[in-house]
Amino acid sequence: MKYLYVGGMAEVDGEALESIRGRVAAEFALSPREIRLPAPGFAYDPIRGQYASTELLENLVRRCPPDAFKLLAVTECDLFIPVLTFVYGHAQLGGRVALVSLARLRQEFYGLPPNREVFVERALKEALHETGHTFGLVHCADRNCAMALSTNVRQIDSKRAEFCAACAARLPRPARPRE
Amino acid sequence: MKNHWPILVVDDEEVMCESLAAWLREDGYAVDTAASGRAAVDKARQRDYAIYFVDLKMPGGMDGIETMMQVRRLHPEASIIIITAYATVDTAITAMKEGAQEYIVKPCNPEEISLLVNRIIKVKNLQRENTILRKKLSRKYCTHDVISKNARMREILALAAEVASLRSTVLIQGESGTGKELVARAIHNSGDRAQKPFVAVSCAALAETLLESELFGHERGAFTGAMQQKQGKFEMADGGTILLDEIGDISPKLQVDLLRVLQERSFYRVGGSEEVRVDVRVIAATHVNLQQAVAEGRFRDDLFYRLNVIEIRIPPLRERREDIPLLAAHFLERLSHELGKELDGISEGALRLLMDYNWPGNVRELENAVERAMVTCRSRMLSEEDFAFLALNGAAGKALNFPAGMTLQDMEKQLIAATIQRAGGNIKESAAALGIDRSTLYEKIKRYEIPR
Repeated sequence: MKYLYVGGMAEVDGEALESIRGRVAAEFALSPREIRLPAPGFAYDPIRGQYASTELLENLVRRCPPDAFKLLAVTECDLFIPVLTFVYGHAQLGGRVALVSLARLRQEFYGLPPNREVFVERALKEALHETGHTFGLVHCADRNCAMALSTNVRQIDSKRAEFCAACAARLPRPARPRE
Repeated sequence: MKNHWPILVVDDEEVMCESLAAWLREDGYAVDTAASGRAAVDKARQRDYAIYFVDLKMPGGMDGIETMMQVRRLHPEASIIIITAYATVDTAITAMKEGAQEYIVKPCNPEEISLLVNRIIKVKNLQRENTILRKKLSRKYCTHDVISKNARMREILALAAEVASLRSTVLIQGESGTGKELVARAIHNSGDRAQKPFVAVSCAALAETLLESELFGHERGAFTGAMQQKQGKFEMADGGTILLDEIGDISPKLQVDLLRVLQERSFYRVGGSEEVRVDVRVIAATHVNLQQAVAEGRFRDDLFYRLNVIEIRIPPLRERREDIPLLAAHFLERLSHELGKELDGISEGALRLLMDYNWPGNVRELENAVERAMVTCRSRMLSEEDFAFLALNGAAGKALNFPAGMTLQDMEKQLIAATIQRAGGNIKESAAALGIDRSTLYEKIKRYEIPR
């Protein structure tokens, strides 16, 4: 049995976490499992007021259970890599571990009224995207594909929570192709 | 496609280096990293990276600027992006002066870096495509590839190679279809201007005012419909070569304008008051006898002498019949690839027929004839039957009504009108059937006032 471990780093939105665990596991034909993960405080950068995603990812690699096929961590913290102002997530390309941040996916972050549906859909798309990287998928030129690069929420909203046929075909166990 | 463009990230901070490399790898690029300027230069010696991300401040005696300068010595075409956390105007100016393509301040927005890389790769793809096309063109239009064993043609090719690197004007005279543009391109591609543009203009295809705007460009509002400033062909050819095809057909006013360009190397755009200076090598081509046109007062003698610095007269195919088998075999081989139809060759009977034919449309007509024969051929050898249409062409001519006392020009007019009608008004098809190029056909349509 191939397990997909999905867990929150400290407190995270329960609805988003459940949705991600179920849908991502189904999309990659894996069995979902819960996991308790540490709070991300150790990766906090007081100068930037954000969390270093590389440090978090390294920690997750060490904590990855031996029977985990993939481990996906979800956090409410805003992530960064040194050269960029922020990242929505981070993953080991062709590895076992991925990380998604919910911090910039809510409408409220941009001064707009809350919208749960939009938020959960964005979280799911980014979770699929980062997990896709662990299967060796790189950014896709098809803007509707979950593997399309998103550098803002408009781009996340314009893509779909599924893979294009070309990306699906590159997965070892092909995900459900788009109709 | 992205992994065709390798990237090198150079930074002494491992986290910075690896995280940017990982981010670019997720985008599909092949990325290497180097922890110092010296390591970067070593890697650049082994591999030609398309883009270098180089941190400005690095220890060990080689900072980002020094690294960039050494890399550029190895790969002048490399795109270098300087990254710094400490943005000052001075460092930005120094970086750009030393050849950095971009200068980014970290941390930067992911969108910014993504757009930047995409823009650079887009330009590199265009440059690569351009290089490939130039190579293809220079192979197609090289003096070594002009096929002929005729002594006069060999002399012409030797002269073309000799004058290729000069700036002197060349006048190429020859009947339609003899390959005037081919020789012009061969001159361009064999000379110092080969890497610069080659721009061909058919002077017969356009009305006087349009041709003026086409050659010299126009300013915004110069005439109705001139919504914005437009570059003319002379400006487009700056540094390279312009071919003025069918030069014998230009109006007296344009003859004066051209004379000025040839003398001054400058001109004014239509409606403009600012002088535009260009460095263009002019090659003129014509199928009419310009000397005769000068004698009849239709062409300015001063312009003729300016154009006729180096004169090349290409003989018609009927005067170099020894080239017919060579050319036919060459077209057969080339068209085999293009049409995807492999044939063994041309029969002796068919070759005799080709040698006996008069070829009024010259080499172009021969090329079209071989293609037509190949398309309809049902065996592996082109036979006399496959070229039967050449005899029929003559028969079709006879079927037209040519009463006694009719001039040669009337006959030509009738034949052109009949051909255009048969082709349903399609100029390209009509030109091919007549064995002349489109610009010549346009010129004849204009001259004979043939309705289309």
